[in-house]
Amino acid sequence: MSARDDAVRRLWRERPRSRFVRVSVLLFGLLLIGCWLYVGADLGVVFSPEGADDLHEFFTEDARPKPLRGEAWDWGVAARWASGELDARGWAAAGATLAISILAIVLAAAFAGLLAWPAARTFATPEAFIPSGREPSWLRRTAWKAVVAGTRVGLVLMRSLPEYVLAFLLFTIVGKSAWPAVLALMIHNTGILGRLDAEVIENLPPRTLAAQRALGAGRAQLGLFGVLPAALPRFLMYFFYRWETCVREATVLSMIGLAGLGYWIKEADAHDREDLLLLYVLVSSGLVLIGDFVSAIARRVVRQAS
Amino acid sequence: MVPDLPPPDGTPARRPFPVGRRGVVILLLLLIGGWAWAHLDLDLGDLAIGREDVGTASEFLARAFSPALDHEDEGTYETPLLVLSLKAVGSTIAFAAAGMGLAILFGLALGFFASTAWWGERGTGRSPTGRVLSLTLAPLVYGATRTFITVMRSVHELWWALLLLIIFPTTPTSAVLAIAIPYGGTLAKIYSEMIDEASRAPALALKGMGASGLQIYGFGLIPSALPDMTAYTFYRFECALRSATVLGFFGTFGLPPTLGVRIREAFGATDYGEAWTHLWMLILLVVVFDWWSGAVRRRLVG
Repeated sequence: MSARDDAVRRLWRERPRSRFVRVSVLLFGLLLIGCWLYVGADLGVVFSPEGADDLHEFFTEDARPKPLRGEAWDWGVAARWASGELDARGWAAAGATLAISILAIVLAAAFAGLLAWPAARTFATPEAFIPSGREPSWLRRTAWKAVVAGTRVGLVLMRSLPEYVLAFLLFTIVGKSAWPAVLALMIHNTGILGRLDAEVIENLPPRTLAAQRALGAGRAQLGLFGVLPAALPRFLMYFFYRWETCVREATVLSMIGLAGLGYWIKEADAHDREDLLLLYVLVSSGLVLIGDFVSAIARRVVRQAS
Repeated sequence: MVPDLPPPDGTPARRPFPVGRRGVVILLLLLIGGWAWAHLDLDLGDLAIGREDVGTASEFLARAFSPALDHEDEGTYETPLLVLSLKAVGSTIAFAAAGMGLAILFGLALGFFASTAWWGERGTGRSPTGRVLSLTLAPLVYGATRTFITVMRSVHELWWALLLLIIFPTTPTSAVLAIAIPYGGTLAKIYSEMIDEASRAPALALKGMGASGLQIYGFGLIPSALPDMTAYTFYRFECALRSATVLGFFGTFGLPPTLGVRIREAFGATDYGEAWTHLWMLILLVVVFDWWSGAVRRRLVG
């Protein structure tokens, strides 16, 4: 055996690995396969001649624009039908859906921007970024730990319920307005952004911050002049990244409480108007794409500017 | 009053502005938020719980810390509430996992074509045919796949479920596909980006030794992207659990009832205690998987 083979073997033996990850991946794989078999999903329903027939029927009959039913296909008529529908309801609904997503993410970012500080372990501690020289008392240490733990539990609770379930519950509490959708999105995203922002603070390079602290900066000064400028670009990145998902969820949540896109999709379904349903689903898909696009540009700008 | 003394080197004392030009960005975002508020015609007064719904709201919230431990209304039930809830947890997991399994297959297959790594380095294929192919066909396939996965993920899983239910007969397959299609699109996008961002050094080394495209991909690129891909997959499963619950709100799809079904039923019957039992079960489920995916991620990426 050559020295090179030995080296290769040694590298292989010393490769980073973790028993926990291996067991987790194995369990996860078994879970997926087991559940697939248990659920008994049969892709033959879709990928078969019958499935193709169903699909054909949907697009040529069910979802055919109403004025074109039983008529030969005419792009002019279809376009007039679509623009008439969109002028009457679609664009306004898209605007409301967009407004829900924007308001929700701005509010969520504001609350997350406040909650991230007590959730960041490097900041919410008696010795922020630098040892104080004196051992902090047991009481102070525990009090700060309780602050971090309490905030984190709150954030987990906020993000663990799905937006839709939250909106459904809020609807019965705050009634018919845009609030259920806005609040549901806001609560869920505060939980997510709060955690992400706290991680940003924890992952900041500690040197400058330690230096500022050593020069006598208080916690407020440190936060405002040290942490915030360094963390803000990442906060903004996460803001836009979450806004993207907010647009997507808002298309669904706008069926609760006010006449957004979701509402008209649900209405179309209730009245068996598959043509309208497909039209509004396409509009919501377009809205999501615009959101993705704007968010991607915004994040690129932030990345280049920082 | 102590006058501001200029620093020794003569530059004028200047207070550092905490956010600089980023302040403008934040102000702009707040303004857009204000526009949204005005556009939605929102009234903070509507949030004051003191109107006709006050009964429902306080009754519901009061039960948060005293969830029902068994069925509360009269009647005979075959299964205790907690068993019912645990079964709903099981079918929520089953639903999410089946969808996720298919989504991973979609993600791997489509992620391959949606990454630029398999093109070869700027069309320098070994044979002339290979070069022509990688210059013409590759961008085409790449563009088509990108468009395809964008459409897959731009439609919300609920709309996919709605469409699939209308088009095909009602079977669990519709529900599984409703999760698998948008999640497959998202996984394909993220996988392809991770593969593209992975270090190209091992791939180039393999290429230098004359490995085929598939070998380069499988042994040069995938291994360095795998930890990120695994971590992300675990995270998405947590999202799939929430999606499966929400889909349950709309029907059972021929599956045993999920937590979503149970929450809606209990809430509709104003059994708030039971609704909270299922809600806490859902929170617990998500928190457990949140911890699991976090633990895996920390070991893989952290």
